[in-house]
Amino acid sequence: MVDDKQAPSPMDRVWNFFTSVKLAIITLIVLATASIIGTIVEQNLPVEKYHQIYEDWAFALMDKLSLFDMYHSWWFLLLLVLFTVNLACCTIDRLPRVLKVVRNPRTRLDEGLEKSLSLADRWKKKGTVDEWATRYADALSSVFAKPRITRGPEESEEVHLYAEKGVISRFGVYVTHLSIIIIFVGAIVGNVAGFKGYVNIPEGGEITKVPVRGGSRMQDLGFALRCNSFRLETYPSGQPKAYVSDLSVINDGHEVLRKTIVVNDPLRYKGIWFYQSSYGEAGGTTALVAVTRPDGAPVRMLSLAPGEPVRIAGYGAIRGVDYSGDYEGKGPALKVVVEKPGKPETGFWIFSTPGADAARKDSLVFTFGGLNAKMFTGLQVAMDPGVNIVWLGCALMVLGIIIAFFMSHQRVWLKIARGKDGRVEVVLAGSASRNRLAFEKKFERIQTGVKAVEP
Amino acid sequence: MSNVILFNLTTVLFGVASALYLGALYAKNEKIARFGTWTCMFAAAVSTAALGLRWYESYQMGIGRIPVTNLYESLVFFAWAVNLFYLVIERKYASRSFGAFVMPIAFFTMLFAIKNDSTIQPLVPALQSYWLHAHVITCFVGYAAFAVSAGVAAMYLLKARQEEAKISQGVVGLLPPCKTLDDLVYRAIIWGFPFLTAGIITGAAWANYAWGTYWSWDPKETWSLIVWLVYAAFLHARITRGWHGKRAAILSIVGFLATIMCYLGVNLVLSGLHSYGGG
Ligand code: HEM
Repeated sequence: MVDDKQAPSPMDRVWNFFTSVKLAIITLIVLATASIIGTIVEQNLPVEKYHQIYEDWAFALMDKLSLFDMYHSWWFLLLLVLFTVNLACCTIDRLPRVLKVVRNPRTRLDEGLEKSLSLADRWKKKGTVDEWATRYADALSSVFAKPRITRGPEESEEVHLYAEKGVISRFGVYVTHLSIIIIFVGAIVGNVAGFKGYVNIPEGGEITKVPVRGGSRMQDLGFALRCNSFRLETYPSGQPKAYVSDLSVINDGHEVLRKTIVVNDPLRYKGIWFYQSSYGEAGGTTALVAVTRPDGAPVRMLSLAPGEPVRIAGYGAIRGVDYSGDYEGKGPALKVVVEKPGKPETGFWIFSTPGADAARKDSLVFTFGGLNAKMFTGLQVAMDPGVNIVWLGCALMVLGIIIAFFMSHQRVWLKIARGKDGRVEVVLAGSASRNRLAFEKKFERIQTGVKAVEP
Repeated sequence: MSNVILFNLTTVLFGVASALYLGALYAKNEKIARFGTWTCMFAAAVSTAALGLRWYESYQMGIGRIPVTNLYESLVFFAWAVNLFYLVIERKYASRSFGAFVMPIAFFTMLFAIKNDSTIQPLVPALQSYWLHAHVITCFVGYAAFAVSAGVAAMYLLKARQEEAKISQGVVGLLPPCKTLDDLVYRAIIWGFPFLTAGIITGAAWANYAWGTYWSWDPKETWSLIVWLVYAAFLHARITRGWHGKRAAILSIVGFLATIMCYLGVNLVLSGLHSYGGG
């Protein structure tokens, strides 16, 4: 640390710079101001847009300052680094001192300490110092906390009692500061080891790769994702109620997971998350076909694109080949062709009357569910191995702030000594690291409790 | 809808309470202020009932959802929280003079609220999440605490001017001493700060669950961070550099202006992903 007398060395100056809270406050304000700019200048628009909004010279200047992708610019990242270094240095600078104070508290109420405490009381008693020390120690245990007892100095007859509560409140600040660094670490891990992407899958379609956002790279998933169907549900008023995608994960040719996702309820497989994000018409129509067992137990819904076969495990492949709005007076119908391994193809019409197809006496029963415009579902795809580190940091931050703000390190000293007149002199004093008003009341209670002790 | 009638009544009550508190200061009459307290308590009961009723009515309409999902509802919830905070402070500090500075905030918020669409609308898919509850409630409790802090900071600035001039009569003479005000500016912020922190975190958790990104520098997110940074600067200035009094009061007011920008300005001025306002 800096010696008051000598001029600080360059090293000390650098250290003082990085451990100063003034720097922290300035950095916080600069970060806030920069962030404001980033909300006024719209970020990451196509270049043409910026040319429409700004004059050429302004565009050139702003481009040079990276104002169009400000939060990822070198100078914004540098600010964050400065902030982090400042925070780390501050902690390294102060934590050992706090640890020292916590490990070796001032257990003796000497005169200097007594003068510095605003809450103090003194009185006199008859008897011996040791007797009173034992009584007061018991009293303090019952009204506040169990005290530590120190005797001496040798030549004097003196006993010091020291009791404390809420020591951990001293660490709230450090938990909070550490949590910020943990969150940054989590963010970095996510950026380095994870990826974000977006993909459209038409109904019935399958993907195994996802284009990565902000780059030309394709991320291989290591499995396939199929969109079985997409559906838009609306409220009676016509407002959208739910975007629903029926997805299947296919690994080595087998369906290993199937889930219907909506906004706010993603699908997760092998650490990769798929979020319902968008939708649209994929062009063309599909026919919906409900597949059931002869006893009526549902197997699955199929969405058949014209002429494209869909496989049903353990059965065969089915494809739609023709449609009629009213087939032989029996209503809308779909002509399908079924292909079973080792058997000739068979074609037949299916209708929307449930169970009508059971007359065919096959192992599966098909019911026509109508025609649909073929849709695609748009999915955000994310893998972020750092996200749990971020949540850990967030939890610690809330915990740290609560400890720092709402807990208080409360200390009470009692000095019992032989006075010049032969009587026992008692001094009671206390302090709290925060919320002094509340502690004043508590101190009054301690005072009353201790003074009430009789031989 | 009956909940809206109750909210309109709440608005009137907040207005009456503000007038009573201001009148009490002006006439230096504690009795008038006591009527103010009763009015606030009545308003608390009415607005709580109105929130509950609105919730219930949404279920009756078959779209059951928490009543904090659009601009109208969030403003009403904010005013509700400010009123409750105020009542707690009035009790704790045993002074009714805060009311003249805090209750008008609740009143004007309600006036602004009733100019907005008050019908119960179903939730769009993006808002259908349990995170919505945790996120909105924590944020608005935080905002309410900051509003109280800024109101008291305004009182402080008035009182400090007068103390400098060594006058102790007039309306301002009735305000609590500067030391109490200064303490309260700080105390309200240390309640608001953890709530705002929790609000930002629950927002991030929600974004992660809905879109797969917990932070995307969207203007609303960014402004909540700005507010958070301003109050973090306030706390450090106070704890480690001894910023008290005037400078702290001004910083509290700046923080609240940033809060208003985050809450309303982003939607009215900038574009964002959030559902309030604009439209
Ligand atoms: C936005 C980020 C930050 C947050 C949320 C934060 C949070 C806190 C909190 C909650 C406290 C306790 C305040 C109290 O006891 O009332 C505190 C104290 C403190 N912070 Fe920070 N902090 C941040 C950034 C920094 C930085 C960058 C520094 C670097 C110098 C720093 C240095 C300190 C110091 C020295 C204290 C006082 C510790 C003491 O009581 O002795 N903080 N901070």
